[in-house]
Amino acid sequence: MNKVGAYARNYGIVWAALLLFLLLAITTPAFLTVDNLRNIMDQQAVTLIVAVFATIVLISGGFDVSLSAVYILAPLVALRMMESNQSGWILMLVGTAVGVLCGLLNGFVVAKGRINAFIATLATSLIIFGLAYLVSGGSILRITNVDMRAIATTKILGITSATWIAVVCVVVAMILLERTRFGRYVFAVGGNRESARLAGVPVDRVVIWAFTLAGLSAGLAGSLNAARTLTAQASDDFGLVFTVIAAVVVGGTSIAGGSGAIWRTVVGVFFIALLGNGFNLNGIDPIVQRIVQGLVILAAVGADAWSRSQRE
Amino acid sequence: MSGPHLSCRGLSKRYGATQALAEVDLDVERGSIHALVGENGAGKSTLGKIIAGVVQPDSGSMELSGRPVHFGSPRQALEAGVTIIAQELSLVPERSVLENVFLGIESSRGPWVLRQALRRRFTELTDSVGIYVDPTAIVGRLGVSDQQKVEILRALARKAELIVMDEPTARLSKSETHALAATMTALAGRGTTFVFVSHFLDEVRGLADTITIMRDSRVVRTAPSADETHDSLIVAMTGRPLDMTFPFKIPPAPDAPVVLDVSGLTSAGRFADVSFSVRKGEIVALAGLVGAGRSDVAHAIYGASSVDSGTMRINDAEYRPSSPRSGLRAGVALIPESRKDQGLILDRPVSDNVTLPYLRDVERFGLISVRAEDEVAEDRSARAGVKTSSVEANVRTLSGGNQQKVLFARTLMRQPVLLVADEPTRGVDVGAKRAIYDLIVDLAAQGMAVLVVSSELEEVLGLAHRVVVMHEGRVVASLDGFVATEESIMQAAFGLSGNGESSA
Repeated sequence: MNKVGAYARNYGIVWAALLLFLLLAITTPAFLTVDNLRNIMDQQAVTLIVAVFATIVLISGGFDVSLSAVYILAPLVALRMMESNQSGWILMLVGTAVGVLCGLLNGFVVAKGRINAFIATLATSLIIFGLAYLVSGGSILRITNVDMRAIATTKILGITSATWIAVVCVVVAMILLERTRFGRYVFAVGGNRESARLAGVPVDRVVIWAFTLAGLSAGLAGSLNAARTLTAQASDDFGLVFTVIAAVVVGGTSIAGGSGAIWRTVVGVFFIALLGNGFNLNGIDPIVQRIVQGLVILAAVGADAWSRSQRE
Repeated sequence: MSGPHLSCRGLSKRYGATQALAEVDLDVERGSIHALVGENGAGKSTLGKIIAGVVQPDSGSMELSGRPVHFGSPRQALEAGVTIIAQELSLVPERSVLENVFLGIESSRGPWVLRQALRRRFTELTDSVGIYVDPTAIVGRLGVSDQQKVEILRALARKAELIVMDEPTARLSKSETHALAATMTALAGRGTTFVFVSHFLDEVRGLADTITIMRDSRVVRTAPSADETHDSLIVAMTGRPLDMTFPFKIPPAPDAPVVLDVSGLTSAGRFADVSFSVRKGEIVALAGLVGAGRSDVAHAIYGASSVDSGTMRINDAEYRPSSPRSGLRAGVALIPESRKDQGLILDRPVSDNVTLPYLRDVERFGLISVRAEDEVAEDRSARAGVKTSSVEANVRTLSGGNQQKVLFARTLMRQPVLLVADEPTRGVDVGAKRAIYDLIVDLAAQGMAVLVVSSELEEVLGLAHRVVVMHEGRVVASLDGFVATEESIMQAAFGLSGNGESSA
């Protein structure tokens, strides 16, 4: 067992994020300003909301690629339901409910159908994307009631409401994972399914709950995003899920299940955000940004695989 | 007579803060079967891995047939004719025996594998060494002992002259063990040298020519197998006299009430018409050959698998568990056969593993109280004799014996009425075994009903007040544990004695 290696694996991402922060603060004048930092937080709110609950799915040994589809479908359903009398609260409520339903579907398919989570949610993604086109008729749905932006952009103590919602999600996910029976069961199921079952853990129920929470978060995030941009449109864009999984993995949660933490995902989200922000402020080509992001993810997953092989 | 086949001098190896091997000298004669024994952590596996190039020593030297060698990798060792067969076999389960044996050394022309030539080589190989396995069989469908034959063939096909075997019999039944022993003896007669690492002392004495005993990373002594006895090995391994392997048997009170009553329990294809009972304070052993259905019965009682017909009663109330949860609720606890695959969450702390089924007990206002959890986990771990730096340490870092004790600590969370322990001492060292026996006897003395599934006859005889023997899914005998003998149990286990001799 290599102590330095274990330490690097455990806290490497924290040092990397801090180092990046310092580097940007020193080299890039526009970085360390209240506006820029507030913007980063606001922009990451949506990713963060989904990522912390996706973390729970990953720790439970699952995988959910349908979060993008749910994120897109949820506001479309909500906007369709309130043709004329648009309200921000109904948008959030209905959007979240749609997320819960999609999550339940995923959970049931994975737990009861015993289908590989990646393939199952890839299939449900297509279904949900399809529903999004059906619901919206393929056109852009616009929010005419401009007041609805307030649900995402109201400033409380200088920070946007979207950021506050993300903070609440982070805290809730932390408590769920670290301090409740459900959280323990998540670690147990992801660590060793059969051991968990024989210890009396209701394995299927845990899996269904994990997917349901992730679906909920995607529905919430999608609605929040629609409120902020005042539009919603059907598409086949898997972008969100890629960003989310990248952040979770870079933070150090294992894709093999059984280990990880919410704080890791928070650090992962901000690490990737700082990277992008730094590139943007320095006017670096977005294509180069992609390549660097890819390398960072490979390094993170490689570190995980390497530390696993060391342990045997 | 030439010198030894393998000669090691001053081998040392350190893993972080742990000295795994210290100044070890070892001489292995050509064509001998040389056993390495010792408790877990004594360094025997590390020594085996160094010999086969899997691990590199920090210092010391090795000579092979008098020539100095340094193995930087298993591949280099193999080129010198040395290989290792690990505890977990490394075959490709989906492919045939033939393909596995010659994997990587196929006869080929360009990219094409020459199947005919491979067949011929296979026949030559099996004829020359006297091991026969169907070359077309799919490896994954073979029994463990046949898979080991394939591993040995694979080693021999690569011209290995010295084979290190790490715990080769840990997963074998008695008869399979005999078959493997015969194979090894025959090969040794033809000049192959075996270094094998094992926990099973009786087997070691029967099979090995020479035994090296290790303790605390050092060699205690190397002596001809004939000079050692079971007791002399144990004393040397543990470094302390062990006057008794088993605690004193305390029979249950004659009027002790029946806790578990199983009647006509049947699960198609696994077991049929199983009936027996366990009384308060009684230790009943479920004996029989591997595959006789004992673990299946244990799982059914716990609720981990379903039954087709039959009834169970606990404390005279009807008991129909539909899941482990319902078993737990009725006061049944299970310690499963494989602690790694069925029992523990290895990458979680000791405390989490202890409290997992009973988290409600450490909740305050709906949230887990870490302090309450650590307190109860520390208490139960101490009672079960778990040695760990802290209950926050991951279970993976503990020795096998301590991992097993974590499962006992878990059952102590609440006092179950019935404890089902499936192979409770598998793969733990001698010292930990005794501690586990003491625990089981102690729990029974406190009034728990205990059902022990065990493949070790010694254990069955040493612990059980009553022995229920299964053969091919049926109960064939119920013997008094105070008068049963190895012979009476084995006869029943092989299906030789028709009916039960005596019921206690």
